[in-house]
Amino acid sequence: MAYVLFTLSVLLVMGFVGFSSKPSPIYGGLALIVSGVVGCVIVLNCGGVYMGLVMFLVYLGGMMVVFGYTTAMAIEEYPETWGSGLEVLGGLLVGLMMEVVLVLWVLSLDETVVVSFSDTGDWVIFEGEGSGLIRGDSIGAGALYDYGRWLVVVAGWTLFVGVYIVIEIVRGN
Amino acid sequence: MTLTYMNIMLAFTISLLGMLTYRSHLVASLLCLEGMMMSLFIMATLIASNMHFPLINIMPIILLVFAACETAVGLALLISISNTYGLDYVHNLNLLQC
Repeated sequence: MAYVLFTLSVLLVMGFVGFSSKPSPIYGGLALIVSGVVGCVIVLNCGGVYMGLVMFLVYLGGMMVVFGYTTAMAIEEYPETWGSGLEVLGGLLVGLMMEVVLVLWVLSLDETVVVSFSDTGDWVIFEGEGSGLIRGDSIGAGALYDYGRWLVVVAGWTLFVGVYIVIEIVRGN
Repeated sequence: MTLTYMNIMLAFTISLLGMLTYRSHLVASLLCLEGMMMSLFIMATLIASNMHFPLINIMPIILLVFAACETAVGLALLISISNTYGLDYVHNLNLLQC
């Protein structure tokens, strides 16, 4: 399939419309997880194997789990899904219709302003000789610990202070 | 490829609009904030792969680190609101009575 990347990006927008139309947060979390999976597959299709793995582990496996049980603590008795009320359903349908109309309209344009939106592009993979075992994105992320030593120290300190702030907020008073 | 970029920027804008409008829950806006961070991550990773410039890959990882911090602080605020009022309804937040 030549247009798999474009189709996945359309599915990503539809998933984002799914939680932006504000159903009850447990359904919003479900839509965010589905969007995260689709986004991860987009990243994998462009050759970013390491970044897709980081996103799966840290984002979906870490932060969404925390969101899930925090939402379970603050949930109501009858959660509001996409079909249970005109506001959420209307927002969802308007968003989906907007995406379809926009994509069809942009594909029918013929002019080039700065970039031309009307072709979905080609993706050519360059493989140099002998570089098949080195994945570009893991090497680039590994440079974080080499050129970006101080950035790692600052980010680690920020996380530590963040945990302390969270404990102080939850303790209250 | 540019149409894919347009879709990802559109996803960011849709999440932004979702975050700025309140319905009843506060945690739904936090979810839209997460969506914004995810779309930025995807966009930066695609640019790093398309331009064959692997050093840009540092930026999405650091973005993920700080987005995790922000999520943690947002959820802590949510928990303290939920401890005071029972649920995280937005119309409970009426200390500032204008």
